[in-house]
Amino acid sequence: MSRSGPRAVRAAVAVGSAAVLLAACGGGGQQDAASGGDWKPTKPIEYVAPAGTGGGWDTLARTTARVLDESNLVDRPLRVVNKPGAGGAIGWSYVAKHQKDPHKLFVTSPPILLVPLAGASGQTYEDFTPIARLNSEPLAYVVKANSPYKTFGDLAKKLKASPKDVSVAGGSGPGSLDHVGLAGAVQAAGADASKVKYVPFDGGGEALTSLLGGHADAAVAGASEVQPLVRSGDLRVLAVSSKERSPILPETPSLTETGVDYAFDIWRGVMAPKDLSESQIAYYEKAYAEMVKQDSWKKASEKLGWTDAFMGSKEFGTFLDEQNKEYSEVLTSVGLKK
Amino acid sequence: MDAFSHLMGGFGVALSPQNLLFVFLGVLIGTVIGMLPGLGPISAISLMIPVAFTMDPVSAIIMLSGVYYGAIFGGSTSSILLNAPGVAGTVATSFDGYPLARKGQAGKALSIAAIASFIGGTVGVIGLMLVAPSLSSLTVSFGPAEYFALMVLGLTAVVSLSGGNVTKGLISGTVGVMIALVGIDSQTSVLRFTFGHEELYEGVEFLIVALGVFALAEVFAMLTRRGQGAQTGAISSLRLNKREVKEISGPTGRGSVLGFFVGVLPGAGATVASFLSYSLEKRLAKDGKTFGKGNIKGVAAPESANNSAAVGSFVPLMTLGVPGSGTTAVLLGALLVLGVQPGPLLMTEQPDMFWGVVASMYIGNVVLLILNLPLIPLFAKVLKTPQALLLPLVVVFCVVGVYGQSFSTFDLWLLIGFGVLGFLMRANDFPAAPLILGVILGGLMEKSMRQALLISSGDLSTFVTKPISAVLLALAAVSLLAPVFGQLRRRRRGRALPQDDGAGQDDPDEQGAKVDANVTRP
Repeated sequence: MSRSGPRAVRAAVAVGSAAVLLAACGGGGQQDAASGGDWKPTKPIEYVAPAGTGGGWDTLARTTARVLDESNLVDRPLRVVNKPGAGGAIGWSYVAKHQKDPHKLFVTSPPILLVPLAGASGQTYEDFTPIARLNSEPLAYVVKANSPYKTFGDLAKKLKASPKDVSVAGGSGPGSLDHVGLAGAVQAAGADASKVKYVPFDGGGEALTSLLGGHADAAVAGASEVQPLVRSGDLRVLAVSSKERSPILPETPSLTETGVDYAFDIWRGVMAPKDLSESQIAYYEKAYAEMVKQDSWKKASEKLGWTDAFMGSKEFGTFLDEQNKEYSEVLTSVGLKK
Repeated sequence: MDAFSHLMGGFGVALSPQNLLFVFLGVLIGTVIGMLPGLGPISAISLMIPVAFTMDPVSAIIMLSGVYYGAIFGGSTSSILLNAPGVAGTVATSFDGYPLARKGQAGKALSIAAIASFIGGTVGVIGLMLVAPSLSSLTVSFGPAEYFALMVLGLTAVVSLSGGNVTKGLISGTVGVMIALVGIDSQTSVLRFTFGHEELYEGVEFLIVALGVFALAEVFAMLTRRGQGAQTGAISSLRLNKREVKEISGPTGRGSVLGFFVGVLPGAGATVASFLSYSLEKRLAKDGKTFGKGNIKGVAAPESANNSAAVGSFVPLMTLGVPGSGTTAVLLGALLVLGVQPGPLLMTEQPDMFWGVVASMYIGNVVLLILNLPLIPLFAKVLKTPQALLLPLVVVFCVVGVYGQSFSTFDLWLLIGFGVLGFLMRANDFPAAPLILGVILGGLMEKSMRQALLISSGDLSTFVTKPISAVLLALAAVSLLAPVFGQLRRRRRGRALPQDDGAGQDDPDEQGAKVDANVTRP
């Protein structure tokens, strides 16, 4: 699935936002009692996907909104609103304008760290309140089925010896997801990440097509993206980027198993505007904690290749700090840190 | 034949009353939304996604596919009537469709568009059915070098889209490529020409440029003409005579086949197909000079190609799980949520899905034709709207179309800016078509070139040592040089026969597609 989904937002959104506006007019007078542990939303929640429809963020927003609504975990409906543009930055600056607004949430993943690190966003993750991490998915390092590289070690060795002869395709721009996941692993395997020929394509699909056609020698893409082509025997996975094996590709060794001390996850979660009260954070945290236990959530996750990796607000916040430090180091080593 | 029995199975799926209803609903909604200027297949599909998620996967995909090709089918309407293309794929249709409408032949143009769309769509489905599995190898044979060559070939159409003045056409095309460079550079993540505006990070949306330089500029031009050239023409000429049917059969057939193969390539798609087909027909036609002034072949060629390409884009989607365009990316997202993982195994693991969708496309295309033909006289009446009402309406549609995509007022200023640019270009005889071609192809051309050079470590020979790329570049060279030789030959002939001097260069009637759209009629 293209992570840099199309920019267009749709009429559906217009309908949604109209509903939000109407509702906002209706419940306008009420003020939220931020005291005590029993805060509840008083109007529909605007749930921002900082990308167009059809992409990863949109899918996450719509799926979680549906599960939360169906199982009545939130007292007001969630309305998904798409704010595409600038790799997420347009959506983030929109949410950032609504400080302390407890009726806004947005879905998030590593770009909330990577895009600001590359200097392409006015906001950073610290401008928002982490609510919960929901799931994660590893990257997969793949080659064509007939490639001479059998293990990640083979590829790393070649990248070390003659980086000019190997091109690795990825589905996101330099300094973003796929590139960082590749550079970190290559670095940990002892090669010079700044010399690796990383060829950015628009989305994992295009990168994999280029690999299949023999235009690139290897590719890095989300585990769920490569899965159908691996099952059909067109591609071979050298390793997945997580510490443990992924349920999506159970037969593939993890990087740790292949002797490379590096892990990279495409985690996904939910954030809110800055300065929410404790009880507001607790309200949403609890709702999402319940949500991941629902059968309909489990079913959807299985279809989409997501592995649950729940973290509450505090833990998610610490995790973000750590990740940010790690990404920052990798980006510095490939010379993309701004 | 195996495919045949599968297809029969597919019809079994598609002909169930429930799925028939969804095909009908899908194409109806698609074609209606597609007709509105500024709204294209992405808007249409996105609107239907929430509904689709509540449905059974096969029906949902049948419906969403219907919305997709329905929107492409209907997309030509606003191009022809209002010069306001809603989708990149129908831009080329406006080159001749709009002049036809202004000559009072809107009905005819719409009928041709509908028939060509139907044939293109059907040829596409036949292709999808017969050769989809083997075509995935064609899809992957196109790497960055090959795409670069294809884009170069596409850009050579600038010559045929320039009307009389190739220099002005080239300037216009270059400006188009420059507009395509705005935004975050995909290869280095560096910001280019954004001047600190976040709204420009992802570049200038094609739709803004197209609506600006075509629709809005046309509105400005009409205003300065103060109502002259208002529509009075008869629109009853819906039927095609035998000669016309014969005339469009060649372009439609070639357009359909060409469109399908170009559509199979991810990233190229309907737009490139329609432009290639248009410029090919212009070259082949004996009356090529009248292209851009309301030649019916100029409607048939791009319309058959874009519909066929829309179906062709299902090949990479279904057989590789790779979206070839923004629209199919949205469609892929929907498929995943519905629990369908497209890929090489889809046809064997879920034959009902694949063949059901294929069969539904046959039905959908017939439904579209039946839906559209009777409505044509009605649509053509749009042109009878008094200008005092029509012009504001066009402006409203442009604004809604642009704002509905980004919810950004910045984009509205851009729209106005491009409207003014388009108007000034027109006033100074700069053709707008090359500009739009540059915007559409420029970005992809640059990206593929740099990817190819990255892979080859900067070795330029990669473009000529790869056979497909070499052939495409050779074709591009031929298509650039052919008119030059043609001109030389004509000039020589012209010297022998001084009275035959209308050829090419100085013909004032050839000053670009849009400029001469305002020919005054009795």
